[in-house]
Amino acid sequence: MNALETEDLHTYYGKSHILHGVSLKVEEGRLTTLLGRNGAGKTTTMRSLMGLTPPRQGSVRFFGTETTRWPPFRIAALGVGYVPEGRKIFPYLSVEENLKVPLERSGPWTIPRIYNLFPRLAERKNNRGRQLSGGEQEMLSIARALLINPKVLILDEPSQGLAPLIVREVFRIISEMRDEGISVLLVEQNARMSLEIADFAYVLDGGTIVHAGPAAELAKDEARIESLAGATAEGWNEKAPAA
Amino acid sequence: MLQLVLFNLFNGLIIGAFYVLLALGLSMILNLSNVINFAHGNFLALGGYLAYVLIPYIGFWPSLLIAPLLTGVVGLIIEQTMIRRIYGRDPIYSLLLTFGLAFMIQDACRYIWGVNGLPLATPPSISRPLSTEFFFLTGYRVFVVGIVIVAVAALFMFLRFTRMGMRIRAGVFDLETVSALGINVKLLRSLNFAGGIFLAGLAGVLAGGQIGLNPNMGDSLLLPSFIAIIVGGMGSLVGTLLGGLLIGVAAAITTVFFASASDTVIYVIMALVLLLRPRGLLGEEGIL
Repeated sequence: MNALETEDLHTYYGKSHILHGVSLKVEEGRLTTLLGRNGAGKTTTMRSLMGLTPPRQGSVRFFGTETTRWPPFRIAALGVGYVPEGRKIFPYLSVEENLKVPLERSGPWTIPRIYNLFPRLAERKNNRGRQLSGGEQEMLSIARALLINPKVLILDEPSQGLAPLIVREVFRIISEMRDEGISVLLVEQNARMSLEIADFAYVLDGGTIVHAGPAAELAKDEARIESLAGATAEGWNEKAPAA
Repeated sequence: MLQLVLFNLFNGLIIGAFYVLLALGLSMILNLSNVINFAHGNFLALGGYLAYVLIPYIGFWPSLLIAPLLTGVVGLIIEQTMIRRIYGRDPIYSLLLTFGLAFMIQDACRYIWGVNGLPLATPPSISRPLSTEFFFLTGYRVFVVGIVIVAVAALFMFLRFTRMGMRIRAGVFDLETVSALGINVKLLRSLNFAGGIFLAGLAGVLAGGQIGLNPNMGDSLLLPSFIAIIVGGMGSLVGTLLGGLLIGVAAAITTVFFASASDTVIYVIMALVLLLRPRGLLGEEGIL
């Protein structure tokens, strides 16, 4: 069974038509990545999946259950962990309090286990969210999503604004989650690193899927990766010496 | 002179305690639901009248808890049927709706219990004067302050240490993310609204025991309560607590020296705070 399947999603912000028929699926236990440049519609796709910006047309199914018109909390309660773009840490709550906000679904993930996986969070458990570094905030955001004991984990640009070493650490944890049996949908601008850990890849452009195929295959397509990286910091840095 | 100052200081604390109860409820509702509840003072009156109905049957002590609970239930019904529909809209909608509700609740009280004031019987054990030597002090006033301290401490502990409290505090900042983490935010808002109305009801029972009941009894407390929120800083409940006490005490102390300015001083404090620290005393510190 597919962990997640969308069919022909059309999503609007007011009158602006953002997604033009997005269909994708995440197979159970696999890590699927959705790549695309800034403004391609990646975050809108995530928001449509989570019920935060419901699609006007099309359908979303998690584990075969149609959730298209469901409110976000019901979708999450099915076992969908969501790590939003920009982390969305609660700044005035302590790390420990941030971890107590999510719904408690039964499963292997508990706060002590989270502290085991992220010792840095354990050290800073009494600090407020806003006092954490970007990397720590990302870990806290992932930890929060894990505490829902998800069957599928959706991450929206977890590498954004992080130092390369921290990005590696975050990606290592994400691929560990897949190894634990959690199905993962990873949305990223950082194509190279995402393709290293992903099983399957989609490329989104202008609100439509323009490529779908095994990650390893796309990883070899230098020209396509180059065009995806065009708008990222990575891309700019590479081009800088030539300019 | 010292006697007079102390007497007024204590009076200020009592009036400040009422502002605090009312302002904390207003603040809770405003922070999480972005609703400015103009009917809050009328829920206070409703709480007092419900206690008036209950006391002959169950006595004062159970009524002290049950009347506010029933007020909270009325609040919950109003939230479910009316206020819920305007969530996410411009605050002007909530202002207009609750303004109308204020008149409806007030007229309902007038229709049921009459225009004239009614006394609320309090137990003799707490109504006795405690001291007439240094300054006049009834046990009831000390009791009011005690109950307010317990209620405020319970509210702060609830928000600080329970998961639901943490979710409310998180929701004040970002309701959407709380929802994406599996929490039913509609339910959270409803319970939070009922909690705020419970505090108004409690203030009504306590105020009824001190000044008696009338359909307009909440009106004079509502505006200073809004000012307490502004002075304390929007979003901060500790700020609201300090703001309520500050304006209560300031108004009472002013009575000693310049009685006719005792109302004005509240607005002067608000103007000063807005000039010197526009976010209010603790406006940057978050909800707790």
